[in-house]
Order: sequence, then structure tokens, then C-alpha cells
Amino acid sequence: MSANDTHPPHPAGRKLRVGAGMARYLGAFRSPRGMIGGGLLLVMMFAALLAPVLFPGGVDLQTRDNFQPPTFAHPFGTDEYGRDIFVRCIYALRVSLSLVLVAVPFAMALGILMGLSGAVSRRLGEICQRIFDIILGFPSLVLGICIVVAIGAGWLALAITILVFSLPQFGRLARGALLTEQNREYVLAARVLGVPKRRIMTRHILPNTLDPLLVQASLSMIAGIFAEAALSIVGLGIQPPTPSLGTLLNVGIRYVYAQPMYTAGPIIMLLLLALAFNLIADALNAAVLKAKRA
Amino acid sequence: MLHFLARRLPSVVLMLVVTAVIAFLLPRLGGGDPAQVVAGSDATAEQVQAIREQMGLDRPLAVQFVDWAGSVASGDLGTSLISNRPVAQLIGARLGSTLELAGAATILMIVMGLGLGILAGITRKGAPRALLDGAISVLLATPPHVTGLILILVFGITWRLIPITGEVSILDDPMRGLSYLIMPAFALALPQAAMIARLVDARMAQVRQEEFVDLATAKGVPPRRILLSHVLRNSLGTAVIATGIRIGEILAGAVVIEAIFARQGLGMLAVSSISARDYEVVQIIVLFAVVIAVLVHFLSEILLAALDPRIRLDG
Amino acid sequence: MTKDDLLSVRDLTVEFGPDRAPLRVLHEISFDVARGRILGIVGESGSGKSMTAKAVMGMLPEGGRIAGGEIRLADRNLVGLDAPQLRRLRGRDLAMVFQDPQAALNPVKTIGWQIEEALTVHGMSARDARSRALDLLRQVGIPDPETRIDEYPHQFSGGMRQRVVIAIALANSAPLIIADEPTTALDVTIQAQVLRLLVELRERLGVTVVMITHDMGVVAELCDDVIVMYGGRVVERGAVGDIFAAPQHPYTRALLRSMPQVAGDRLARLPAIPGATPDLAHLPPGCAFHPRCGLAEEVCRRTVPALAPIPDRPQSEAACHVAQREGRLPPEPMREVEANAARARRPSPAPILELQDLRVDFGSRRRLLRREPPFYAVDGVSLQLFPGETIGLVGESGCGKTTVSRAIVGVNPLSDGRIRVDGQDVTAFDAAATRHVRQTVQYVFQDPYASLNPRLTIRQILSEALEQRGLPAGEREAECVRLMEMVGLDRGYLDRYPRAFSGGQRQRIGIARALAVEPRVLICDEPVSALDVSIQAQVINILADLRDRLDLALLFIAHDLAVVRHLSDRVAVMYLGRIVEEGPAEEVYARPRHPYTAALMSSTPRPEPDPGAMARKSVLRGDPPDPRNPPSGCRFRTRCPIGPLVHPERRICIESDPALRGEGRHRAACHFSDEVTRPAEESTT
Repeated sequence: MSANDTHPPHPAGRKLRVGAGMARYLGAFRSPRGMIGGGLLLVMMFAALLAPVLFPGGVDLQTRDNFQPPTFAHPFGTDEYGRDIFVRCIYALRVSLSLVLVAVPFAMALGILMGLSGAVSRRLGEICQRIFDIILGFPSLVLGICIVVAIGAGWLALAITILVFSLPQFGRLARGALLTEQNREYVLAARVLGVPKRRIMTRHILPNTLDPLLVQASLSMIAGIFAEAALSIVGLGIQPPTPSLGTLLNVGIRYVYAQPMYTAGPIIMLLLLALAFNLIADALNAAVLKAKRA
Repeated sequence: MLHFLARRLPSVVLMLVVTAVIAFLLPRLGGGDPAQVVAGSDATAEQVQAIREQMGLDRPLAVQFVDWAGSVASGDLGTSLISNRPVAQLIGARLGSTLELAGAATILMIVMGLGLGILAGITRKGAPRALLDGAISVLLATPPHVTGLILILVFGITWRLIPITGEVSILDDPMRGLSYLIMPAFALALPQAAMIARLVDARMAQVRQEEFVDLATAKGVPPRRILLSHVLRNSLGTAVIATGIRIGEILAGAVVIEAIFARQGLGMLAVSSISARDYEVVQIIVLFAVVIAVLVHFLSEILLAALDPRIRLDG
Repeated sequence: MTKDDLLSVRDLTVEFGPDRAPLRVLHEISFDVARGRILGIVGESGSGKSMTAKAVMGMLPEGGRIAGGEIRLADRNLVGLDAPQLRRLRGRDLAMVFQDPQAALNPVKTIGWQIEEALTVHGMSARDARSRALDLLRQVGIPDPETRIDEYPHQFSGGMRQRVVIAIALANSAPLIIADEPTTALDVTIQAQVLRLLVELRERLGVTVVMITHDMGVVAELCDDVIVMYGGRVVERGAVGDIFAAPQHPYTRALLRSMPQVAGDRLARLPAIPGATPDLAHLPPGCAFHPRCGLAEEVCRRTVPALAPIPDRPQSEAACHVAQREGRLPPEPMREVEANAARARRPSPAPILELQDLRVDFGSRRRLLRREPPFYAVDGVSLQLFPGETIGLVGESGCGKTTVSRAIVGVNPLSDGRIRVDGQDVTAFDAAATRHVRQTVQYVFQDPYASLNPRLTIRQILSEALEQRGLPAGEREAECVRLMEMVGLDRGYLDRYPRAFSGGQRQRIGIARALAVEPRVLICDEPVSALDVSIQAQVINILADLRDRLDLALLFIAHDLAVVRHLSDRVAVMYLGRIVEEGPAEEVYARPRHPYTAALMSSTPRPEPDPGAMARKSVLRGDPPDPRNPPSGCRFRTRCPIGPLVHPERRICIESDPALRGEGRHRAACHFSDEVTRPAEESTT
């Protein structure tokens, strides 16, 4: 009870009104963590996107020597055919990023829909929860194996694996938020006023569920990137000759004595991606908490 | 307690049924006609059809499923169509290796998870807290295969302390067996341990805020006793459930870890069977992994119920 | 400190945060407690009363420290003791009772274990501890202690748990017990049990009690001495009788006046204290109360007044420049108090809201395999509300009063009964009926912090409501301004978010939102129970004003009998899903005809000091039964002071369910309603 009747603090001007919800998420990228994480991600996204421009020789351009140690020209050295590992890693980023940037938003949208379906019909909501329980009951890689068997190894199988696997996280968060929000007095107030159901959902419930979901999205991106690596390492993911971080590791581990950078390079990329998304998740979390406390 | 277990049972059964259905469907989903595989590539259509009838593949799927589930339940795991050997035999040959790995990893996970969690739970401020927080976050964010590869690079390549690939059974040669086991087990256990640690730490922080901890302080209870009897005792349930879920993940993680460390376990068998389209083996391994995960989870819930009087007496 | 004083606190100052920029939350707190007396520390949220208790216990939250002063417990200064020394004192020389009995016991340990722990950590053997624990359970009135000692907290009711917490406090016969709002989380009949237990223990064991509370009624009935806290300072100190008879600090006086009463004259308007309670982090300069004080002068804005005896009333001390200068607290100018102005109501034959045998089932949620048996949170409630009339719906937690109100607006589905709104049957809640209800009935919620969407500005919140009324967008602006003015808020606040407002202001916004659709019935569900006492009166006054101006019918739901009495024309009392008594407010309060109503009234603490009031009260025994499994016959019989508990021959109470009946408009559901004692008689005998 900080305010005094005659002088409530923080006179919020009209300008601030527009997208105050969005502003807090953007504000996350103004914190040091958000800036580093966001910057790192941007650099990697641009590198992946512009790889054909930056390295016009493509992934298969061979140098004269195989297993060259790292040099300025080839920061990660060369592989068994004398190809630049760094260039292959950059191209591999295209796979990792395209996978998670497609699959995770899909999973988020579908998860929200399924999680909030309980508002439309209680039974439908229950069914969705059971589906989530079953997905979570499967150890993650076992699920991946089933999907790979069903539709064949490749980008699509990986994308579906990532989607299915992150679905319950979003669905449960959305449902949890729905259950708490639904009984909030301001939602009841809107109902009593006669505000239509769909409007209550989009205006009162959905915005208040978004906070944890966005944080979860960054975390699911990391999980997705690592899932690609896991399945590709054992040969069930991206199939050679397309370079992905997982396929590089699959081959790299065979030559770990001859060329440690063959393994270390992709790992550095993986860790950088994880770091970027982790920092973003942290920054979002902090921004959300800050907005809540204010 | 019985009430509580009876309430949980339907979801356990549902999970088992769904898993069985998925495992049963795997060979069908995988494409390729089993009858064709058995008949060989230059068999005539009539021969294939005869084999199909002989194998019962022309019957309705539901009938085939009941048939298959019945025989699996009675211990007949089927025969590999590729190698023509019983699946049970194939799995039996690999089971020991995976059990060693999963067992060692589980022990490590519990010890490190609880240790780190409790350590973080009692370290509330200052540099040690930040250090523990950071360590747990890093471990948490790094999955087993990446952890494994980093361990290989550091201990196997840079320092050359430990052999990186291959295996010797612990039963045959404990010392050498252990030296082969230690890295994969750590790789498998560390991320899961970090997950347990994070949950235990968070739970302890939460319990600390409870009024009964204040009451214990007001009674004059010494800090160490407050920690043990009040804070830790009320955090145990979280630790148990977290552990129960993580054991399933250890089994799944074994697939990749075995590939990286070239261990001839069930995971490797699964991977090679997929490549060879030997789906009769894959389906049993999938079933096996999920059933164990589900049962361990259920066990942990029973343990939770036993630990919490509110569930034990009323639930 | 005289030798009679057990506890003596001098200039206690507590700070939080870094040393360079500390936040001072307690400023030079001083008080003494004589042996065997009960001292009340009274204050609203943010006054520092709980912090005072924690400082004395040596249990300040992390980051807090005692920056000055001393705490002497029987000649020993507790300030400066190290942690082990303090630990040995806690539980043995001073003990504490906590607010929330649900949370204060360790859920995984038995009651016995927890009592024994208090003994064994101070050196008693396990065997002795066990028999002492049994003894303690008996002392605090736990029936069948031999069995219950091995039970877990969740097997005890809230009141019983609080008895266990008290048993723990008594374990080592600590001479001083600090009770921090020990009854706030309890229902009023259970509160009466616990307060009576404290009084008995004081008499039997001679313990000294420091009672921290926000409730002036509890202070008046229980305490010998009182200190009043405001903004982290003691603003008044003295004997309870003196302070209640002639408060010498303007805050104390205003607080006492602004409380509605269960007995005595009913005022048309409560003399409310303007403004909101201050935040300890942003105290106003000078006297912290000056922005809300009608007597404030220039000096009050500049200098903090010291706590000092008031010349004409030397037995009281108050921290007020004006009272100290004038010799006593002068009467406050400009505060009109109209006495009992009866509201003129036009007779209107048709009820605007009519409930008929309402039943709401909370049990039968379908599960996967089985269906749970039905459990009626509301079981056969009938009520008529006429235009312009106010009905107070009273009852303890779990009696179903909120369920009734939410069923009326269609949030809780009915399983039986009919609802008529303005003559139209809306029971089905189809599209047309729902629209009709929405336009006629609106709702004001309890929690001012949860009832406004934090992401919308006040303008957006009100506009949404206006849109539902069908007001074109162009006219909403003017209407928003009109609504804000109606509830006494500045139009300049329209573009702020809810977080910029205090609890009282938010509640006004909630009222404005409900009024935006121009309803004829307003359901108010505990609208002031989450507010500080000094804010309650503001909101009550606004509700009363608007009701009279707009000719609203009010269904006012509350557990606080005094608040209900202040506002209501008629009262309905609920117990376990039923209405047990209903009638005109004056009649019900003067001559209750149901023993439960009588007990509720007698249990409600009144802010009139009356030594011995506690002992004379009729206090209900036991706890309310499980609503899933209500008793046969009369639902109140398991606790009734005139039922089969006391008169075993009254089988009728067990066998037959009494209907609401009585002469005229005052009806009660009791077989023996003529025997109900009047609270007025009781207090004079």
C-alpha cells in the first residue's frame, strides 16, 4: 500500500500506453544479458543466413591438406577431405536454427491452443492433458526414435520430434496459467460484465500467460538444438552429406585423435547457441519479474 | 495411500497401453513389408502372400495387436527378421553393458544431484552461492552427449587420462571396467543430477519461507536440526519424484552415450537395428525403455506417498 | 523499567538494507509489559507491529538488524546476544504464537513430535517430554490427547492447530508469550475459543502475553495495556480503559470512530479517515499521520512528535504536538456525524432478485473412473431482495455465502432451484437470460489486488464495461470521467495502471466498473475485508452513498457482523449451506432467534473495554462439521448450546430439520428459538 490518496506515484503518460506489454519484453534486450544473448544470436543467425555469400566456395570446397591444425584461415582446421571445419559448422548452423525456429514456434502455438482448450470444453482440455502426460512419459530420445522409424530420418523427422517434445511444456504452462487466470477476480469481473468469452481469452487470459511461455520458448530452442545433435550423432538425424552440428560430430568423433577440433568445433557452436538462448531466457525472466514487482 | 495409488493407476495403465500400441505399430510405420523381408527380394507375389498368411499379417490389426501383446507379456519377444535370431537373445547379449552404464549413472546422479542440491540449499548467499548456481546452470544446460564429448576432449585427448572408447565388463575386470565406465556414466549423470539439484534447491528455499520453520526457530531449535528435521525432511518428496523421472532420461541418454563411447549396449543395438530396418528388435527396446521409465516413476510416487502423511493417511 | 516489568523495550530501532542507505522500519519503540499482564500492540498493515515482535524474538528477517535501543527481558538485555545465546532463550524464556495455524506446523511430523521437540532441544529427556506433551495438550483443551498426540497436523482443524501451537509456546513454561495475530486467520467463533483459552492460561499459569493485532475489539476484550503503532512508531501508549475512553492521539481516535459497531446507535455515515496507510519506505516527514489528520499544523509537517505524557491525562502518553500543547486532544473540527438517519424507502412489491431453494453442487466432478458423491455447498437457499434494499448475508468461511452470490451471476452452475431477476426467470442462463442478468446484477469483489487486470489502464477497464452497456465509443470518455467522480477519484488517474493505486482506491475502481453497466443490484462479496480498518470506512461510505443516490439493491456479503449491521436493512445468517435466520437488521441484532446468530454476535469482539467480558461470553464449542457430510436434523446441533449437546432429551434436533419460520419478517430455523439468549441480557447478567 504505497500510494497516498492524493498523490499516486508514477504518472504514466499516454505515450506509455501503447504496447506496455510488448515494451517489457523488448526491455529484456536492454539488460546486459539480453544484449549479449541477443547480439550473439543475431550474429549467428546472420552468419547462417549469409553463409553462401560469406563462403561462396560452399561446404565441399577442399584445401590441399586434410587434418590441418587450426590456422587463421581455417580457425577449426580441416577435416579428413581437407574441407574447412569452420565453414561446415557455419553451414550446420542453418540446420540447427531452421529446425528450432520453425518447430518451437509451432509447438508454442499448438501448445497454447491445446493448453487453453480446457476453456472451450473441459473434456477436450482433459484429453490434451493426457496427451501431454503420455509424451512426457516417454524418455525424450525414445520418442525421437519412434518418430524417425515412422517417417524416416531427416529434417522433417527432427522438426516433428522437437515439436512433439516441446509441446507438453507449453501446453502445461498454458493450462496452468489458464487455471489460475480463470479464477482471478478480474476474469470473473469480465464475465459478470458480459464480456464475450473469446474477448476474455484474448484480452485478459492470454497476455497474462505469455510471460512463462516466452521464457520456455528460449529454453525449448536449446533443447531442440541439442536434440538435433543427439539424433544426428547416432545417425538418426540429418543424413550426410548435409552438414549439421550432429553429423559433424558423428564423423568428428571417429577422428578425435587426428583432429580434436573436428569434435570441439561443433561443440563450441552448440554451446554458443545454448549460451545465447540461455541469456535471452534469463533476461526475459528478469524483465517479467521486474514488471510483476513494479 | 491405497486411494492415492488407485488414483494414479489409470494413468500408468494408459501409458503402458499407449506404449504397447506404438511399439506394435513401429514395424508397420517403418514401411517395408515384413513378409517381403522374410521372403527375400526375388520371391514371387504368391510366395510373399503365402508367407504373409503364414505370419498372420493378413488379419485385422487389432487381432494382430492382441496376439502380439499377449506373446510379449508371456515372455516371447519375437524373432528378428533380419538376423533370424530371437529378440530376447539379442537383447540379453547387450543388457549387461547397458545395466552397468545406467546403474552407475543412476548412483552418480542421485549422489551428485542430492549433494549439489542440498549444498546449494544451505548456501544462501555470497560467492559460493553464485558459484553453485552457475555450476548447476551450466550442467543443466549441457545434455549428456555434449557433456560426454567435452569429457572426451578434456580427459581423453588433452590429458589422456582415461580411455575414451570401448568397454570391459566390470565383472570381468573391475579396475579396467571402471575406467571405461567412468566417463560415460558421468556424462549421462551430470545433466540429470543438475536437474535434481535445481529442484531440491528451489524446494528447500521454498520450505525455508514456511511458517513452521519460523516456529521451530521460535522453539529454540538449533539451525542444524532445523535444516534436517524441518527443511530437508519436507524437501525429500521433491527429490524422490525428480529422481524417478530422471531415471527414464538416463535410459534414453544411454543410446547416444553408447554411440559416442562405442559401448555395445542396448542403445547401440537400437541404433543399428533401425539402420538395418530390424524393427522387431527396435519395438521391444522401445517398449522396454518406456515400461521401465513408467514403472520407476510409479515407484517414486509410491515412495512419495509413504513419505508424506497427508497422502499416506488420507489420499 | 520497574521490577514488576518482565519485558522492557527502550528506543528499539530496526533497519534494513545496506549500512550507507539503511531503511529504518522501526523508530525508537519503547514499551514495558508487567508480569501477568496482556499488552496489545495494535496497528494496521505497515505499522511495524509484527517487526516489533520479530525483533524481540531475535528473529528479524534476513537483512534486518537492530540499530539501536535495548530489549530487557527480566534484567537481561537481549540486544547484542549472539545467535546461540538467543536460541537458548527462545522457547524457554520467550515463546511465540504465529498467525496461520495451517502453516505453522510441520506437515510431516506428528503433533507430539513437534511439542516434544520444543522440550528436548532445551534439555528434557524424551520420556519426560512425552508425558509433558500429553499434559500440554490437555491444558490447551485438545480432547482425547492420548490418541491425538500421534496424529499429523492435517488431521486437526484450524482452531485445534492453533491450540497445538499455543501448547508448543507453553511447553517450557516461558514467562512471556508473543502472539502475532493469533486469531486473524480463524473464524469468529473459533477466534473466541482461542482468545478465551489465552485468558484462561493467563489466569491459571500467570503468563505474560504480548498480543499483536489489527483488531481494536480484540484489544478491548483481552488486553490490559496497549500501544498503538503507526508508520513504524508508537503513537500512543496507556491502559486499555483510558485509551478507549479518551484517546489522545488523533489516529487512535479516528480509528475507533471509523469502526462500525455491533451494538449501539447506527450512524448514517462512518467518520472515515482520509488517505491511505503510509509505506514504511516513504514515510511523510514530521508526524507520519499528518496528511490524514484534521488537526495537523505546520509543526506536524516538520518535526516528529515525541511520545510523551499528555498534561491533562498523565496516565496516557501520545506522540502528538497538538495534544501535548493543548493539554488534551482537542475535538476535531468539521467532522459531521449524523445519528441514525433512517433511509426512506419506497415500498415496492416486486422483488428485483429472487432465489428459490438454490442448491449448488461442488462434489460431483466427473473423474476418469468414478463419480464423486454430490456435496452441496449451498443447500436450499431462498432469498428475496427488493429494489433499493440492502441485505447482509453473514456467515463464517465455508458456509456457502460466496457460492450463493456467484451462482446468482452464473459463475457457479446451479443443480437445483430457481433464480428470478426483475421478474424474469434466468435459471437456465441461456443467452437472453445471461444478458438480462448482466445488465441488472453486478459484482464487487473481495481482493482489490486481484480484481483489476494489471495490464489494463483504468480507462481501458472502465471502457470495456461501458462497451458491454452498449455505449458508443465516442461517449465513453465522458462516462469514464463521470464514473471516476462518482467514486471520488480524480479523472487524471484514468491512464494509470492498477498498481499505482492503494487497496482502497482499487476497490473504488472495482465499484465504478460494476456501476458502468448501470445495474440495479450490486452484489458485494466481502468488499472491505481485505482493507485496513482506516480504509474500510471510506469504501463503506461510498457504497452507502451510491446505493442511496442510484437506488441500488445491495446483497452485501461479509463475515464481519459490525460492517453488515452498519449497511443492511435486512440480515440473513448462513450456516453450512443454509440460511438459519433472516429478518430486519435491527431486530436480528437486538433479538436473535437462532442460537448460531446469538453465538456469532457474542463471539465478535467489541471495541469497548470490559474486563471479564471474555469469561462471560457464550463461546461455541467444536468446529463446523464437514459440509460433505452434514449432521442429520438441524445442521447446527453438533455445536448448539441449547441443543442435544446440553439437553440430551431434545431428539427433535437430531431427527427433524427445522424450517425457517417465525412471526412477520423475522424468521429462524430452530426448534427452540424462544430460548435463544439475547446478547444484551447476557452482558448484563
